[in-house]
Amino acid sequence: MPVVTLSSDSHPLGREIAVRAATALGYDCVDREILSAVADRHDVPETDLHKALEESPSPFGISSKNHARYLAYIEEATLAVLLKDHVVCSGLAAHLYVRGISHVLKIRILADPQKLAGEISSGRTPSFEKVSALLKRRERFRRRWSLAAYRVDETDPSVYDMVISLTRIDPDEAVQTIVETTGYRKFQPMTYSLKCLKDKALASRVRVALIDRFPDVRVQADGSSVVVQTKALEREKQKKTEVIKKLAGEFPEVAAVEVQILPDIFRKAAESFR
Amino acid sequence: MAEQLEILLLDDEPIVGKRLKPALTKIGCNVEVFEDPRQALDRIHRKTFDIVVTDIRMDEIDGIEILEHVLRKSPRTKVIMITGYAMMEVAREAMEKGAYDFISKPFTPDDLRKVIAKAARALGSPIDSETADPAEPGGPAETQ
Repeated sequence: MPVVTLSSDSHPLGREIAVRAATALGYDCVDREILSAVADRHDVPETDLHKALEESPSPFGISSKNHARYLAYIEEATLAVLLKDHVVCSGLAAHLYVRGISHVLKIRILADPQKLAGEISSGRTPSFEKVSALLKRRERFRRRWSLAAYRVDETDPSVYDMVISLTRIDPDEAVQTIVETTGYRKFQPMTYSLKCLKDKALASRVRVALIDRFPDVRVQADGSSVVVQTKALEREKQKKTEVIKKLAGEFPEVAAVEVQILPDIFRKAAESFR
Repeated sequence: MAEQLEILLLDDEPIVGKRLKPALTKIGCNVEVFEDPRQALDRIHRKTFDIVVTDIRMDEIDGIEILEHVLRKSPRTKVIMITGYAMMEVAREAMEKGAYDFISKPFTPDDLRKVIAKAARALGSPIDSETADPAEPGGPAETQ
């Protein structure tokens, strides 16, 4: 059966629908409660992991380096859960990093704008104009966040297989629609899609192993081969390649590591001015 | 001994059939290999196969058309799609049209044997996919 990722402009609402869909399907529901284990495993504050999912990096908040690191930890843990199958996943931004996997049914739930505005403004009922402005600002913020974190605009409907607006559809109907859609043949797992998910999970594990030393690292896996990309100055190339090969090669599933070093033009330019 | 599984293997790259036929024969399958989709279709119209393994991207007739022809003639036949240009949308289209499974190239003969074994179980004719000797032709080298 397909895996379901559920994203929403309202996290509590997304969670509520996810729990109900999971119950109806007999699946597990995975939400932000896994962040506590992630925090313990990597010895980082759990609140920072929550912040990484809600806030963009800023000089007064989470640094870009930590933001990428925390999201990498969350991605690794989430993909490990998705590999177990029979899961509805919400609140962990999975829809942004499991794109291209055919047995992952990606659903977006849009809250009723009036209710969402009430939720954002702590229960007060603002005027229509204020609601509109508030929601537009929030949408802009989420667009910026998702583009910065995953280069994907999460407010773009084409990211999802299905978008359900709860202005006109009630939550029971939404759950029923999700359950029915999981039965469609096109969303059933196949050897290819399971391999894609496995590749992503392995890439995310290798990335986590490298990200402390190489914050800009990108990793792709294909079976037992991984390709690692990072930036370096000419004189660092050899050393970085050796370290990456050693760290990535420690995974028993990895048989071959290709390291692609891209020129670090900003550091090179900075050095030339010294 | 259970009856032999009848398999048709269609790929316009000769190396694919050459590598996979011995691997599948070893696990007790009777394999007919085709490189020309028209000849394969002609054979499909004359004989009912248990499993059809077909490439998706071929000149003149693509794998999706083969899938449709096979299932129109014999809905119980399991059709396994293989492709070197795997994409989510193609995979979903194939599954929607009734493909049993979808594998991306490169894959090893062992990968295909596992899928064939799964299809055989679904057909009620289980086979032992572990019989092949990896050192023999059709062993673990990848099919591109």
